[in-house]
Amino acid sequence: MPAGGPAYGGADVPDYLVWAILVTIFCFLPTGIVAIVFASQVKSKLAAGDRAGAIDASNKARTWTIVSVVVGIAFGIILGIVLSTASVTHININYP
Amino acid sequence: MASIAAPALPISSRLREGALFLGGLVLAVGLHVVDPAQVHGPVCPFLALTGLYCPGCGTLRCLHGLLHGDLRAAAGFNVLTLLVLPVLLMAWVATGIAALGGRPAPFLARLPSWIGPAVVSATVSFWILRNVPAAPFSWLAP
Repeated sequence: MPAGGPAYGGADVPDYLVWAILVTIFCFLPTGIVAIVFASQVKSKLAAGDRAGAIDASNKARTWTIVSVVVGIAFGIILGIVLSTASVTHININYP
Repeated sequence: MASIAAPALPISSRLREGALFLGGLVLAVGLHVVDPAQVHGPVCPFLALTGLYCPGCGTLRCLHGLLHGDLRAAAGFNVLTLLVLPVLLMAWVATGIAALGGRPAPFLARLPSWIGPAVVSATVSFWILRNVPAAPFSWLAP
């Protein structure tokens, strides 16, 4: 059995679970949840010996995490523009 | 045959997994003790700025209800959380197993390729519909 074989040494296949949860809360929830789903797959796929599947899930988790950051920033900018052009009265009415 | 027994995670990764698992546990205990509905702390910036609910609104109150066995209240606050929770719980259990040096069982082994677009569409629809101030959509509001 050569070193670096199909071992469950998950250190080299990051699951991005923490990042996925953070971008779900702080950036953009809809795409963040997808990142969480793929991140959740990584560890159990590694443990099942499905290394290729784990790497695939890991890559997808990273992609969806990056998408969440980008969309979150874009959404924040758009929201900022919309709110700054909206009338103050409107904002006051809706303020909880 | 020794090659079949895969080694556990390196100790540094296990410590990280353990910290993550404990973080989840602390969150659960905290949400059991504290009722988020009674806390008048910082509200969601999206709600504060727009007066609209985001798809995450009511998540903490939902989890509090669930931790007290009140499924009805939990679903009322945020039904999306209930749908995503099995995935999160699985990830949490897998984290605990990995921290103890074990091998988490396969879960969600195969997902359809449309899972990403499906989750995004469902969540964005939920986001829009729960802000419609009329039944039955208002049932989705926290």
